[in-house]
Amino acid sequence: MAATIAGVFKPEVQNLIINSKILLVGSGGIGCEVLKNLVMLGFCNIEVIDLDTIEVSNLNRQFLFNKESVGKPKSHVAKTSVLKFNPNVNITSHFGDITDNKYGVAFFNKFKLVINALDNKKARSHVNRMCLSCEIPLIESGTMGYQGQVEFILKGVSMCFECNARSEPKSYPMCTIRNTPREPIHCIIWAKYLFSQLFGNSDEDVSMEQKEEVEGGYEKLSARNWAIKNEYNPKKLFKKIFFDDIIYLLGMSHLYEGRIIKPVLLDESLLEQEYCEYNHVPDNKILTLEQSISMFSDSVTAIKEKLGESNAECLTWDKDDDNFMSFVVSCSNIRSAIFNIPFKSYFDIKSMAGNIIPAIATANAMVAGQIVIHALRILQKKYDRCQNVFLRSMPNHKGGLLVKDKDVLKPNPKCNVCISDGEILLVTDTHKFTIRQLEELVLKKKLNMVAPDVQIDDRVIISSDADDEVNMYDLTLLEAGLKDRSTFEVDDGLQSFIIKIKVHHQEKYEEEEPDFEIFNNMNEFNAANEINKYMELNENDDDCVIEEKTVDSSGSGVCVNNEDIKEAVMVSKKEVTEEISNEEGTEEISNKEGTEEISNEEGTEEISNKEGIEEISNKEGAKDITNGEGAEEILAIKRKAAEEIEDINDVKKSRVD
Amino acid sequence: MAVPSPKSPEQSERSRKYDRQLRLWGDQGQQDLETAHVCLINATALGTEILKSLVLPGIGAFTIIDNEVITEEDVGSNFFVTADKIGEKRGSIASQLLCELNSDTRGHFIDECLLKLLDLNPGLFKTFTVVVTTSLHEKEIIDLSHKLWTYNIPLLVCQSYGFFGSMRLQLAEHTMIKTHPDNQNPDLRLDCPFQKLKAHFDTYNLEALDLTNHLHVPYLVILYKHLEKWRNDIGNVNALPETYKQKQVIRDNIKNSIRKHENGTLYHEENFEEAIRSVNFAYNRTSLSENIQLILKDEKLMNLTLNSQPFWIMVKALKDFVDNEGCGKLPVRGTLPDMTADTFKYISLQQLYHEQAAKDAEAVYNRVQQLLQHVNLPDDTITEQDIKIFCKHASELCVIRGTRIADEYERKGNADNEISQSLEDPDSLIEHYIILRGIERFYSEYYTYPGEIDEQVEPDIPKLKLCISNLLSEWGCMYSTKEDYIHEYCRYGKSELHSVSSFIGGCVSHEIIKIITRQYKPVNNSFVFNAINCSTESFTL
Ligand SMILES: [Zn+2]
Repeated sequence: MAATIAGVFKPEVQNLIINSKILLVGSGGIGCEVLKNLVMLGFCNIEVIDLDTIEVSNLNRQFLFNKESVGKPKSHVAKTSVLKFNPNVNITSHFGDITDNKYGVAFFNKFKLVINALDNKKARSHVNRMCLSCEIPLIESGTMGYQGQVEFILKGVSMCFECNARSEPKSYPMCTIRNTPREPIHCIIWAKYLFSQLFGNSDEDVSMEQKEEVEGGYEKLSARNWAIKNEYNPKKLFKKIFFDDIIYLLGMSHLYEGRIIKPVLLDESLLEQEYCEYNHVPDNKILTLEQSISMFSDSVTAIKEKLGESNAECLTWDKDDDNFMSFVVSCSNIRSAIFNIPFKSYFDIKSMAGNIIPAIATANAMVAGQIVIHALRILQKKYDRCQNVFLRSMPNHKGGLLVKDKDVLKPNPKCNVCISDGEILLVTDTHKFTIRQLEELVLKKKLNMVAPDVQIDDRVIISSDADDEVNMYDLTLLEAGLKDRSTFEVDDGLQSFIIKIKVHHQEKYEEEEPDFEIFNNMNEFNAANEINKYMELNENDDDCVIEEKTVDSSGSGVCVNNEDIKEAVMVSKKEVTEEISNEEGTEEISNKEGTEEISNEEGTEEISNKEGIEEISNKEGAKDITNGEGAEEILAIKRKAAEEIEDINDVKKSRVD
Repeated sequence: MAVPSPKSPEQSERSRKYDRQLRLWGDQGQQDLETAHVCLINATALGTEILKSLVLPGIGAFTIIDNEVITEEDVGSNFFVTADKIGEKRGSIASQLLCELNSDTRGHFIDECLLKLLDLNPGLFKTFTVVVTTSLHEKEIIDLSHKLWTYNIPLLVCQSYGFFGSMRLQLAEHTMIKTHPDNQNPDLRLDCPFQKLKAHFDTYNLEALDLTNHLHVPYLVILYKHLEKWRNDIGNVNALPETYKQKQVIRDNIKNSIRKHENGTLYHEENFEEAIRSVNFAYNRTSLSENIQLILKDEKLMNLTLNSQPFWIMVKALKDFVDNEGCGKLPVRGTLPDMTADTFKYISLQQLYHEQAAKDAEAVYNRVQQLLQHVNLPDDTITEQDIKIFCKHASELCVIRGTRIADEYERKGNADNEISQSLEDPDSLIEHYIILRGIERFYSEYYTYPGEIDEQVEPDIPKLKLCISNLLSEWGCMYSTKEDYIHEYCRYGKSELHSVSSFIGGCVSHEIIKIITRQYKPVNNSFVFNAINCSTESFTL
């Protein structure tokens, strides 16, 4: 192997290569490449961990897998494939979740270097904290379409993964989803909820309870039980979901008072329509309403069969299952018809529903090459040369495809994770917010903790130990003793991460308001309020920038940091007073459209998505693509949107024929 | 009721396997890949890394030309040869292992010396879509460059050397329809609405609409109405708002036309807000870009023949359209951005643009038919569908005419501007291009690479220096390369580092995909990678 080639490496570097044990977290697109590169360079002690199994859509880039290995654990197959080429290395593979407590400090301490090749923020944050607490250097990486990045993280030396707030995936208020959808994405999310409600295990209902005649009167059945009772009869389901439920909504008069959005009942003749063939229509063309209804029937029938065949009581939605996809495509388009929203094609809905980020072999190869070059430097402790590196989709003005930061970025002194034992501000309605929401939404989802413990005055409120019998979950914060201005400490023993949270009570009036918000301190909270006021005063100015960055009215909370707010105010002011060149104008709008269209997952949904997002963040200013919604994807979607117009016409033509 | 089977199993398998990339280059791009045949000369680590990233996304076929056998060094850097195969044909083993990556790709292997092949069977090279080479010698590069230039087959000459690497692309002529420009304004024609569009705009009377309809007017209508009003106000029926001030007047006008509640506060009319946001770009004058003007004037249009590429026949038809029916404008693109509106209003507007686009495309198509007849080509050489796509992307057309690599090697006297210019920038990577060229020269003279033989490292340094200074003086350049770089390169002794090759391999296959799919503009025309500094730079040589 290369380490043994004289000339290229000095003997001490050769020794480092041979003797350093490396942990590779993730053996997907980048992971496969990194594993190969490490072995080729002469590393011979590698452990690789991944919780996923191989899927067909991986095969266009994850070259250690083939058709025969579909369904098997990625980590094991990756190891076997590499050993086939190089039997003399020592690779240990783990089929598991890196956030599991069996991979604690003792596990991490075995390694000289950790490499992240992950696809989701939660695991990335977790590994970040583990490496900080063990003071092990970490290389963080990601690709998206043609773009990519490699970052170096070491406690006290460089920025950590969480030094800068990375923008959150967009989420949508439940009431928009349930009652007032305005965009295709709202209907798509609704359709995924509907799937979970009818076939999976859902905690959010989107279809109403239904009265059903039973002996001696009526009883109210949940939509799920009603569907089971009616043996998932497609016609009955269609009537219930797209007629009865809508009539019910229309009956709640206050819902649509003074609003633009109002559902319009479909023509009743559709209830009895003839089967309308759609199989000949390609994925990227739009179906008619009639075709969508037939697709709905077919998919319900197929899913019912699948539910019957499987022993499980619940199905988990999966974008790669054609029938599950057909269900979501048809339901969201039928709902769009009711709410006067444009239809989308199967291809596009798959992209939005599955949060699909384009991924190709070439970008992964480039990023993985860079990772290993960084790894060599880190092992030699040449940290000053481990600047973050970005792979661009197009060469910049100097003809560079790779762009690196000028210096290694110093940790953010305000970082709650790697520097200060800081205090953050939780703004919420203490009368309504429960301890369960605190644990699930704030501590786990928002702050990415995996095993949080909370004690107040020696009383255990939240425990990471399943044996502890804590019965506080249904209490509100106030009932648990967390009132306005009180401060409590959360300790994640696994991550060695401690944070103080100060409660700020703010009454929640409307359903659309977020359940909670997180700020770094009171000043930021005040600044955010200032901005809201400013926005109200300037209603008609371009508020898109701010909407995107701060006023994310999600059900799961918002994190805003001071810089963002200042920047947002500046941008919005600038837009009021300054001319922007044409190009910039267009770009901004397209970005906005793109962002809204693609991101939907984490905030609002529990439906698990294995593919996740190959996250990457681009430090070059405006195009923040931390969630994976970058320029390429946006362009792709824009193009698709453009192509659809053609599609509609084609469909029309074929109908005339 | 039948359980659905939307697509044939093979088709569904294919779209599932390639889903993540179809979202970047579409079905057409994928088809282009699947019919492409890539030739790799020398299955080095870099060579196999390049092919790996082409086989995975599913190119139709590859051919490896290589007459080397596997050595220990190969095993050390090349993932696609194994230790138990030392002494066997490198191309054969690599081809086998690469084929395992994707059953859709066919792999071939030719065990022959390149120069001999060029001599005996040059026609072979006509069968390839792209030729890519690694570790070639000067003479081979020159001969291959000449041959492929005359065939107009793209050639990429690549190297991975220690911590450095380079790629040089030779394209005689490369035409592209879908270039995926970064930011493109929508083609709205508000300044010159076609007849039906104008008639449609005229059916609206914004003041008379009830609130619900007012909330659902597409913003294009609002913009058009306010353009008319503004023109009226200033008394110039052809004016377009160009300055910030002028645009601001229109913005204010639009803002003032938003309906108010009884208490005087504004309704939240999203469509009007969209209109205000779009003032910036929507009033652009519809005109031909400089790039398109050049393409329409291209000399290739002068004498179309039986052998003309379809692209040029289409461009000629486009030019005739612009000069006649088009009244100096390109065909209407026919796509609209999303906007707040009710479906009926949006679709009817969209329909108009679409109809006009179809009409324009038909006009172009008719002209294409005439041209085809004229040059005696069958009618179906260019289909209606081809023309539709062509017209839709007419504003992004691109033609690249590159330079011949052989010229770089055979040039005496004045150095290329790019080289001497780049040499003035102390951070430029051009120096590495020069050293890599020097190393090629070294090989031509000594039939070995500097430092390849361990004891030779020290004595090779002055030899390499001499090669480089000879090159520079041939080019008429005054420059001396940095001493420590020369030492560094000699220390590498030709060894190839896998991760460097992995990086360059990714870059090169990426360029090959752009060339095969004729989407996105390729790097013009060479690039250098420095793994020590993690930097890349491209040059036009
Ligand atoms: Zn930090």
